[in-house]
Amino acid sequence: MWARLKHYGSVYSSFVSTSFSEAMSFRTHFLLLMFMDIVFYTSHLWSVDIVYDNVELIGPWRREQLLFFASVMLAINQLTMSLVSENYWRFPLAIRTGEFDFTLVKPINSVFLTFFRVVRPGSIANLIYTGPAVVYFGLQVGLEPLDWALLPPLIFAGFLLQNSIEMMISCGMFWMIDGSGVNFIRIELQQLARWPDFVYPRYLRGLLMWVLPILLTGSAPVRFIFDRADRTPLIVMLFAIPLFWALTAYFWQRGLKAYESASS
Amino acid sequence: MIVARGLCKQFKIHQKKPGFSGALQSFFNRQYETKSAVEGFDFEAHPGEVIGLLGPNGAGKTTLMKMFTGIIVPSSGQLEVLGYTPHQRAREFRKQIALVMGQKSQLWWDLPALDSFLLLQKYYEIPKAAFERRLDDLAELLGVKRLMQVHVRKLSLGERMKLELMSSLLHEPKLIFLDEPTIGLDLTAQRNIRQFLKSYQKEKGCTLILTSHYMADVEALCERLVLILGGQKRFDDSLHRFETILGSEKMVAYEFDRPVDRQDPFFLQFSPQWNENSTRVELNIPEAQLRELGQIILRDYPVVDFHTEKLPIERVMQQLLDRPELL
Amino acid sequence: MRVSWSNLLVYRVNFILQGIAPLFVFLVVKLSLWYKIFESSPQAQVGGYHFEEMAAYHLWILIASLLIFNGNSQRISEDIRLGRITSYLIYPFQLWEFHAASFLARSWFQLFIALGTLFGAWALLGGRLALPSPAALLAGLGLALLGGLFWFWVNFMVGLVGFWLEETWTLMVMLQIVTYFLSGAIIPLELYPDWMQTLLSFTPFPYIAYWPARLFMGHLDQVGWVFGALAFWVVVMALAAWWTWRAGMRLYTAAGM
Repeated sequence: MWARLKHYGSVYSSFVSTSFSEAMSFRTHFLLLMFMDIVFYTSHLWSVDIVYDNVELIGPWRREQLLFFASVMLAINQLTMSLVSENYWRFPLAIRTGEFDFTLVKPINSVFLTFFRVVRPGSIANLIYTGPAVVYFGLQVGLEPLDWALLPPLIFAGFLLQNSIEMMISCGMFWMIDGSGVNFIRIELQQLARWPDFVYPRYLRGLLMWVLPILLTGSAPVRFIFDRADRTPLIVMLFAIPLFWALTAYFWQRGLKAYESASS
Repeated sequence: MIVARGLCKQFKIHQKKPGFSGALQSFFNRQYETKSAVEGFDFEAHPGEVIGLLGPNGAGKTTLMKMFTGIIVPSSGQLEVLGYTPHQRAREFRKQIALVMGQKSQLWWDLPALDSFLLLQKYYEIPKAAFERRLDDLAELLGVKRLMQVHVRKLSLGERMKLELMSSLLHEPKLIFLDEPTIGLDLTAQRNIRQFLKSYQKEKGCTLILTSHYMADVEALCERLVLILGGQKRFDDSLHRFETILGSEKMVAYEFDRPVDRQDPFFLQFSPQWNENSTRVELNIPEAQLRELGQIILRDYPVVDFHTEKLPIERVMQQLLDRPELL
Repeated sequence: MRVSWSNLLVYRVNFILQGIAPLFVFLVVKLSLWYKIFESSPQAQVGGYHFEEMAAYHLWILIASLLIFNGNSQRISEDIRLGRITSYLIYPFQLWEFHAASFLARSWFQLFIALGTLFGAWALLGGRLALPSPAALLAGLGLALLGGLFWFWVNFMVGLVGFWLEETWTLMVMLQIVTYFLSGAIIPLELYPDWMQTLLSFTPFPYIAYWPARLFMGHLDQVGWVFGALAFWVVVMALAAWWTWRAGMRLYTAAGM
C-alpha cells in the first residue's frame, strides 16, 4: 500500500514537472491563461460589489459576507483550474483520436492518468490573487483563529466535491463521439455554484443541494464558518464526496466497457 | 503466450445519410446496425514468434489487437494473454506488453521525447540504472541520440516513429503489438524500422504481433502469417506456405516493342496484368510449364525483354482477395 | 429509451450545450438572484427597476444574446493553425465570405430559437410580461442583429490572431468575460457607478446588450443615435479585422507555411 502510494506520488511529481516544461514552451499562452483567470475573478467580485452599491442585503448576507463567499468559491475554482481542468478538455480529444488506447495499456490507474496528468502552472500562479482575496474578505467579516484554521481544509473539501461530481459527469464522454460539449455542463454547474444556495428557488435549490449537490461546494463550508450550528450542509458534503467518487468509479468501469475506441 | 478460442466482437454502428436532412434524421431517429468485426477466431502464439496479421482494411486486424491488449472487451469467446484475461487489465499484465500504433502517438507533442521517456520510467517503475542503459542502447541502435532533446512536434514522421518505438520498448515488454508501424513512412525509413525490429527481436527473443499494409514488412519480419478476411481467420501458417498456396507459380514479366491485343485468349489463362498501352504484361505461369510456354511467347510475340521472379505476396494477396475460394 | 438517450447525447448536442444552454443558465442565476433581492420588499426599486422590470430586462438580454454571441473564432484559428487556410486561397471565395456565410446560417437558427423563447416566455408568464410594441420589437431585433455583426467581426479578428499565436481561445474567453461585464449583460448599466457609465458610453459595449434590451422594453427616444453609434463601431471593427487579415497574410505568405 505504502509502496503504491509512493509510486503514484513520484508519477504525480513527474506530471507536474512535465506540465511545467510544456507550459514554458508556450510563454504567451501561459501568460494569457493567467491573465484570463484574473480578468474573470475581477469581473465576478466587481459584479457582486456593484449589486451591493444598490442594495443592503442579498438574502441574509451583507456585502462583506457575500464577497467572502465569492472569494472562497473562486479559490475552489482556481484549485480546479490548476490541478484538473485541462484534463477534462483533453479527455474527449483522447477518446476521439483513439490515443486513449495508450492510457489503457499503461500499468497505471486509468482514472488517475486521465484526470491528473496535466496541471496548469499559469493557474497555480494565480494563488497570488485568490489567496489574498480570501484573506482580505476574511478579515472584513472578522474571522476568528479557529475559522482561519478550518478554512484551508474546508476549501479543499469543496474542491474534492466539485471534482468528484465533475469527474462523474465526464464519464459521459465515453458514450459520445465528441464529448467536449459535456465540459460546458461542468462549467454551467460551476456558474450555479458561484452564488450562495439561498438565492435559488426552493425546488432548484433542493435539487442542487441533495441530488446533484453542486451548491454544497462553497455554501457548506462558508455557512459552517459563519455559524457553527449550521452544519447539516457540511455533513452532507462529507458524505457526498466518497459517494460521488464511488459513482465515478462505477461509471468509469461502465465507460471502459462501452469504449470501442475509434477503430482502425 | 496468446490463446484465443472462438473469439468474437460485434460493434453497433449508426447509419447516417449525407446532407442536412440526413443529419436531422440521424438526430431524431438513429438507425443502428450490428456489425461483426471478428468472428469465431481461434489463435495461438508461442514465445519468440513473429506473427503478421494480414488483411484488407476493415478486416478486423485492429480489433483483434485491441482485444489482445485489453483495450476492448470481446463479445464472446475465450482469450488468454500471458496467462491473464486482457480486459481485466491486471497491472502485471500491462507491464509486460507494449502497443505501437503507426497512426497515433503516445509521446507528448509539445515536449522533447526524453520527457515522455522519463514519465514512462515512472509508470513502469524502471530502475534508474537499467533505464539509462536501455535508453543508451536503443538510441544507439535507432540512431536517435540527438533527437531525444527536440520537441516532438518538430520531428519528421520517420524520426517520430523511431522515438515512438523506443518509448514502447523501454520497459522490455515480452509481447509487443505493432499496428501498422511503418504507415506513411518513406522507403528508407521503412527499411530502418524493419531492420531495427528484426535485430531487436532476435536479441531479446520477445514475441511480436504485427499488422501492416506493406508486404515488405511482413516478408522481412514474419515467419508466420495469419490472414483475416471479413473478421474470420482464413489462413494461418508459415510465410513459405503462403507463397506456394497458389501452386508453384512464377511471375514472368514481358515487354513488347509494340502494343499487343489484350483479348488474346493465350494470355487470359495466366491472369495477366497489363500496363496502360499494352506493351508490358505480367503473367503467373506454373513452374512446370515455364520452359515450354516461355519459348512459345518468345517465338510468337514481339518480346524485347523479360524477367521472372517469385510471386510477390502482394499478388498472392490480391488473388486471394479476388478469389477467396482458393483457401 | 436507451436509443433515444444516446440520440440526445450525440455530438451535435455540443452546439446547444456550448452556445445556447449557458445563456439560459445565466438567466436562471440572475432571475433567482434578483428575486431574492426583491423578496423582502417587493415594491422597492433598484437603480430605477422594479422586480418585474428587472426580470424583463434579463429576459430581453437573453433574447439579444442569442442573436449577438454566436461567433466562432476557434474555427478560424484552427483553419490557420492546421494550414487549411491555404485551400481557401485557392477556392473561388474569400475566407471571410465563407465564415460570414456560416455566421448568417447560425444567425437564422438563433433567431428562430430567440423567437421560440420569446413565445415560450410569453405563454408561461401571460400578462406579467409586457409585450413590446411592434416598433420596439423591430428596433430591438434590428439592434441585436447589428450587434451580432459587430461580434462577428470581433470574432473574426481574434481568430486571425491565430497567425501570431498558437492558441486564441484564451483571448476570446477573456473578451467574452469583459464584454458580459461591461455591456450590461450581468447587471443593468444604471446600477454602475456614474464614472463607469460615462466611460462606457465612449465604448461599443453598451450597444451590444444593454441598448437592445432597452429598445425591447420600449425606450425608443434615442433609437437613431444608438443605431448610428453601433454602426460606427461595426465599421471600425470590420476595418480592424481587414487590416489584421492583411498583416496576417503577409506573414503567412512570407513564412511559406
